[in-house]
Amino acid sequence: MQFAYLRRVAAGGAVAALTFVGAGIATATPAYAADSKVSVVHGIPDTPVDVYVNGEKTLENFEPGDVAGPLDLPEGQYDIALTKPGEPIGQAILTADDAEVPGGANISIAAHLDADGEPTITPFVNDTAKVDAGKARLIVRHTAAAPAVDVRAGGSPVFEGLTNPNEAKGDVDAGSVSADVVLAGTDTVVIGPADLNLAEGTATIVYAIGSAEAENLAVVAQTIEGLHSAPSGVPSGTGGQADTGLGTWWYALAGTGILLLVAGGARAAVVRSGRR
Amino acid sequence: MTVVNRGALAAVAAGAAALAVAAVVAVVSRPAGDVGAEQAAALASPTPSTAGPAVAVVPGALPEDTDTVRPVRLRIPSIGVTARVGPVGVNERTKEFDVPPSVDQIGWYRYGPGLETDSGSVVIAGHVDSAEQGRGAFYRLRELAPGDTVTATGDDGTERTYRVVAREEYDKTKIPLERYFARDGRPRLTLITCGGPFDAEARRYRDNIVVTASPV
Repeated sequence: MQFAYLRRVAAGGAVAALTFVGAGIATATPAYAADSKVSVVHGIPDTPVDVYVNGEKTLENFEPGDVAGPLDLPEGQYDIALTKPGEPIGQAILTADDAEVPGGANISIAAHLDADGEPTITPFVNDTAKVDAGKARLIVRHTAAAPAVDVRAGGSPVFEGLTNPNEAKGDVDAGSVSADVVLAGTDTVVIGPADLNLAEGTATIVYAIGSAEAENLAVVAQTIEGLHSAPSGVPSGTGGQADTGLGTWWYALAGTGILLLVAGGARAAVVRSGRR
Repeated sequence: MTVVNRGALAAVAAGAAALAVAAVVAVVSRPAGDVGAEQAAALASPTPSTAGPAVAVVPGALPEDTDTVRPVRLRIPSIGVTARVGPVGVNERTKEFDVPPSVDQIGWYRYGPGLETDSGSVVIAGHVDSAEQGRGAFYRLRELAPGDTVTATGDDGTERTYRVVAREEYDKTKIPLERYFARDGRPRLTLITCGGPFDAEARRYRDNIVVTASPV
C-alpha cells in the first residue's frame, strides 16, 4: 500500500460557529443550489438519542455507533437538536442552531465528544472528488475525548498529530491494510489494530469516538461509493496482424491501375484518331 | 488492329484489373462497422434509485471485504475462443488497463463488478495480437455479431451465458471508457480489444473494439 503522496489536511473546526470542517467546500459548491447529501454519525458513547432537524423528529432512538442517511437537504440553515429518546425538544441535551448547509455538497454531521469529553456537534464536508483507477480514499476524523493521535497502517504512521475535531485524508492503493491508532509520537496503541478493507473507487471515513479516560475509544465507519474512474486506456495489440487500414502496397496497386488505364486509353485514342 | 493498339488495350485491361483488385481488398478489409450501439448505450443508463422516504440507519462498522465471483474462463464458440481469465488492475505508471502480457490470457477488471453483479459492467480485455507472440485470444473479436453467445465460468464453478447485443469500434482517443467501466446501469459483459488501422512505427492500433453482451 502506498502512502507516499498522502495529503495531510489540517482543517480548523470552530464548533460553536459550526463552520464546516474539511477541504473543497468552495469547489464542491456549484453555482446553482443543488441539494446536499447529509449523513448523521453518532459518536457519543452510551447515549441513544432522538434527532430533530428544524423542530421535526428525523431520527428516533438513534444508537451510538450508527450512521444515518444520506438525507437530501436543500441549501440553507438548519437547527439540529438531540434529545434523550422520547423526551420533548425543550429538554434537548445538545443543540446546534443555524447550521449552514451549502448547496451540492456531501456532508457528515457528527455528534461526538470534544477533546475535554463534552458532547458536541461537528459538521464535516466529505471529499467526493473522483479517485484514480485502482485507488481508494481514506479519511480519518478525530472525534474522541483523547489527545493528539497518529494513525498507522502496516505499522508505519500515515497521519500524524491528528487532533479533535479535525480530519486527515489521502488516496491510497485499494485493498486491505491493518491499521491502528496510537498516541501521537508514541507506540501506545489506543484503538485497533483492525483490518481496513478499502474498496476501489470509494471513500472510507473512519471516526475515532469515545473517551480515552473512560476507556471506551472505538471507531465508527462510513463509506461513500461511486468515486471510481475508468482506466486511461486499454492497450491490447502490438502485432499489426489485425490491421484494417489499407497499406502502402494498396495505394501503389491502385495508382498503377489508374496510370495504366489513363495511359492505355490515351494511347488507344491516339492510334484510333491517327488511322482516321 | 495494330500492335500499338493491342498494347494500349492490354494496358487498359491491366489497369482495370489492378483497380478491381484494389477495390475488392478495400471492401473486404473495411472494418465491419458498429452494430447495436444504441442498445449498448441503453444498458449503461443508470437504473432509477428505489430508496424510500425513510432515513436509512446502518451500524457504522468497518467495511467488510466483499465476495465477488471472478470469471476464470471465457468461451465464445462462434469465433473459436476458449481462454483463461485472470484478475487484473491498472498499470501503476500509465494508469491503463493491465491487459495480461500473455496473448492467450485475457484479463478481468478486478475493481469493477464480478459475475454475480446485478448492475454495472463486467469488463474483460485481451490482446488482438502481439509482435512477439502472434495472434491473441481476441484476434477475431471484431467478427462477433448480435446474437452470438459468450459463456463465462466463475470461480464459484457456475457458467453464465451472455448474448452479444453490440459491437462498436472507437478511436482510442474518443472511446467513452466511463460508460464501459460503469458500475451502474443494467448488468452486462463488456469485451475489449484493439483494432482498426495499425501504426507500425508506434506499434499501436488506432482503435478499440468493444463488444457488449447481456445476460441470457
